[in-house]
Amino acid sequence: MTGQFSNSNCRTITLASSLAYSLAFSLLLPAVTYSEESTAYPGDIPLFAETAESAGINHRYEGPWEYFVGGGVAAFDCNGDYKPDLFFAGGENTASLYVNHSATAGELTFVKKEDYVIAPQTAVTGAYPLDIDNDGHMDLAILRVGKNRLLRGNGDCTFDHAYGPFKLDTNSSWTTAFSARFDPSKPHPDLVFGNYVDRVAPGSPWGTCDDHDLYQPTDNEQQLYADPLKLSPGHCALSLLFTDWNRSGRPSLRVTNDRQYHRGGEEQLWHFDAGAQPRLYTKREGWQKVVIWGMGIAAADLNADGFPEYALTSMGDTKLQQLELDTFEENGWPQYSDIAYENGATAHRPYTGTDLKPSTGWHAEFDDVNNDGLLDLFIAKGNVEQMPDFASNDPDNLLLGKHGGGFHEAGLESGIALPTRGRGGAVVDLNLDGALDLVVVNRSSNVSVFRNHGALYKNRTRKPGNWLQIKLHQHGINRNAIGAKLSVKSGNTTRIRTLQVGGGHASGESGFVHVGLGVAERASIRVQWPDGQWSAAYRAFANNFLIIERNATDPKYWYPEDSQ
Amino acid sequence: MKTPIACLLATTTLIAAHVAIAADNLPWDAKVIKSHVDQQQLNGVLTRNELDALISSGEHLFTARFKKQDGVGRPMSTQAIIPTKRKRPARHEFSRTAGLDANACVSCHNQPLIGGAGDFSVNVFVSEGFQNTDFDNTDPQFSNERNTNHLMGAGLIELLAREMTADLHALRSNALKTARQQQQPHTIELISKGVNFGQLHAQPDGSIDLADVDGIDHDLIIRPFSQKGVITSLRQFTVNALNHHHGMLATERYGSRWTGTTDFDEDGYNDEIQSGDVSALVAWQATLAAPGRLQIENENWQIAAKNGENQFEAIGCASCHRPSLPLKSVKFSDPGPYDFAGTRRSNEDDHNAIYDLALTAWLQKLPRNENGDVLVPLYGDLKRHKIADQEVALLGNELLSQRFVERDVFITSELWGIASTDPYGHRGDLSTLHEVISAHGGDARESRDLYLALDDNERESIIAFLSTLVIEPQTAVTDKF
Repeated sequence: MTGQFSNSNCRTITLASSLAYSLAFSLLLPAVTYSEESTAYPGDIPLFAETAESAGINHRYEGPWEYFVGGGVAAFDCNGDYKPDLFFAGGENTASLYVNHSATAGELTFVKKEDYVIAPQTAVTGAYPLDIDNDGHMDLAILRVGKNRLLRGNGDCTFDHAYGPFKLDTNSSWTTAFSARFDPSKPHPDLVFGNYVDRVAPGSPWGTCDDHDLYQPTDNEQQLYADPLKLSPGHCALSLLFTDWNRSGRPSLRVTNDRQYHRGGEEQLWHFDAGAQPRLYTKREGWQKVVIWGMGIAAADLNADGFPEYALTSMGDTKLQQLELDTFEENGWPQYSDIAYENGATAHRPYTGTDLKPSTGWHAEFDDVNNDGLLDLFIAKGNVEQMPDFASNDPDNLLLGKHGGGFHEAGLESGIALPTRGRGGAVVDLNLDGALDLVVVNRSSNVSVFRNHGALYKNRTRKPGNWLQIKLHQHGINRNAIGAKLSVKSGNTTRIRTLQVGGGHASGESGFVHVGLGVAERASIRVQWPDGQWSAAYRAFANNFLIIERNATDPKYWYPEDSQ
Repeated sequence: MKTPIACLLATTTLIAAHVAIAADNLPWDAKVIKSHVDQQQLNGVLTRNELDALISSGEHLFTARFKKQDGVGRPMSTQAIIPTKRKRPARHEFSRTAGLDANACVSCHNQPLIGGAGDFSVNVFVSEGFQNTDFDNTDPQFSNERNTNHLMGAGLIELLAREMTADLHALRSNALKTARQQQQPHTIELISKGVNFGQLHAQPDGSIDLADVDGIDHDLIIRPFSQKGVITSLRQFTVNALNHHHGMLATERYGSRWTGTTDFDEDGYNDEIQSGDVSALVAWQATLAAPGRLQIENENWQIAAKNGENQFEAIGCASCHRPSLPLKSVKFSDPGPYDFAGTRRSNEDDHNAIYDLALTAWLQKLPRNENGDVLVPLYGDLKRHKIADQEVALLGNELLSQRFVERDVFITSELWGIASTDPYGHRGDLSTLHEVISAHGGDARESRDLYLALDDNERESIIAFLSTLVIEPQTAVTDKF
């Protein structure tokens, strides 16, 4: 087979057949169709190669109806080497932990850790990493069809099973969402497990959405969490996110709900005010009824105005919600406009192939995959199972941010358009080369691990833009500064990142926060720590990993092993 | 039949000629860039002829007074090194402060020859261009005023910086390896080519403590250019300067890849400066002859200069103004290894070129050490120093820090060519060598005090020595080979 180069209207390059390419990467690359139309996007299109199997990862999320949803991955450092390790939910299969042995900027290599915990983790739908007991080791919140668990990390990629202080008093629910926040007055984080359908309720599944469980920490170090408080009503949540939507410094709980099963439900936003029980924002407070097949939440401050935008995945259109500032300033209301259409972010049907039925979106995440300084949006896609009215061949989306606003769909050119059924995912730098890789948990097939080879250029790749990766640390509770905001300024451009636990689809990440810088070779970084205190401005040179200790004079530069 | 055909042919020829002239290349067209230098023709080590041709193109661009139809002007963007839009068009297209402030590179770099320095009248006002972009005064709250540096020997300076950066990065890497292996902090001296950049403390977790690093950026990249020492390469400098001074935007930073448009400055001209054009300018600058020593005929001057050179060493001037640094390789790769996105990098395209400075005649005149290294007689150390203190503050007269470097910190000025490039000081406001030596404070205070404590003859001998460090007229650009 030879590469096909056609005329200027549409040329197809089968990259896998390119000798140069094979030599360059010594691995199988996806067939990539490169059309002249794509040149309307002049920026860098990252080239991803799916490498799960060669990286040593064989893991499938599957099972009956309960596992049509879920399928999460936790990307976090379980052994202190700062490389992201991967914990995959397995559904009826056992959840797996893969330890990252990738060479810096090199091939992805993972080794499955068989004995990471004493008991096999089955019926797992998702997982989120966080340091619950403030010991410096990442723990895992495990979402299950059954009793949810907290696994206490030991710092060596082993975990204590959910007993002792970490034991949760939990019912056998069908949990599909999670978020956590650190209340500065409490020794441990508040945890919310979002539940889906109550399968034993009369008439299930229709209109029988379960309530959610809010675990608030106690002062008893022998039992970190007491009985959960029910957050009711639940409307079959598939993603939760504590988010400081109004710059109040106190995050509220954003919930996206699946209209497939709720009756009379809607999207939700919960007050979490100091000293008060959580309560829903109401219509009188400006909350507008939105009903979607809500699957995942991604949040990012796209215009750096301090108010995050939200991408909500669904069946059909993805929503991209922006706070209506006039209304907010007048009334303080959480009233949002959907700006997805004008920004080219609806991602409502497959961008390739002949299947024109609506898409089904799951995990969503904003980050800068081509380091051009603009936020991009990754969406994992895939038919629920065999829903005939929705696209069966539904590739994941890679919406690249454009200068001047909006997004450009680059899933096809970038090599991620596979006929898999994506669920959870992670956008994370697995080999610490500064370019973000993609991980997707697929239903009933092996996970996808897309290594980012850099910017597509002719029949090879080249270096993308500049970047920084930043890790925050403070002493005492909340060591990883969940809730902190990073303000990274180069020239007149400020890029905002918020450290949070939750959102996506059953998938969470921790570790370095990535910021693309485009052509800026330096940046000034300010941190708003979770208690609201601002740091001094830290000066940093691009293309480096930084560790910022609270109250430190300078950031520490950190270098991966075997790097220069 | 013949006549009508002949007439037809003649008419056709006339029409064709008319069309050709109307379409492009009017004989009287003042446009400077008739065609862009083709980067695709530049691969590997250039032959002498290839390099000569590229240098000629570079000299043409360096000396040309750019015109509107070349793309001069940036009505809707600023002088900033990161593409930055103005909020409204500039009131005056040319301005001595925010720029455009020159018609050609040679407008300022001309003393004593093309590529040289400039006097006070061609000072440049350095502002990062992110705020106050429309300032129209010289109040130092808006900018720092800087004298024009000469560019002679700039290729060797960049090569030295690259080798020293490589040394420092290797030291850092080894220190981290040791700290990780031994699981305890490991401290090293950051020394390259005899220049000490302080200490680096490597931690077993892979982080480094930079508190004791001195005179260099925290990424340990030596940025040898500008008075401040904040520019990595001639290529970066060229892209910066073309935008700042002329509004000629280089595609490799201001083009569609990084800005989404081919006309970022909205002057109606697309891709004004292309990669090959920048390469030509880089090649021209990189091959500028190193300044030399004046061959003195006057015996008294010879004696004084010799004595002055010894005094220069004895009172510590040479601890920063090092007479020479050894250079292993004189092959100048373009692009270089340490530029960031926004300045063309190696692997950016398939056309990396190497300019072998050994092809130039002037390089053959430079001495070599026992290892065969070229001894670059720069009289500098490529390190930044604090140059003002409480009592001697004149050289700390800027109000703005620049690119993370404090306002009273500057890279050691290379003294080669100093006798040909008065006035002195980074603002160019000191007319004699004595004045600028006397203005040294901060890290240079001790040497300055020792200088002032010398008797008149000894001080004068140092001036006599420095006056031999000239840019030789015979090293004009036309006499490279």
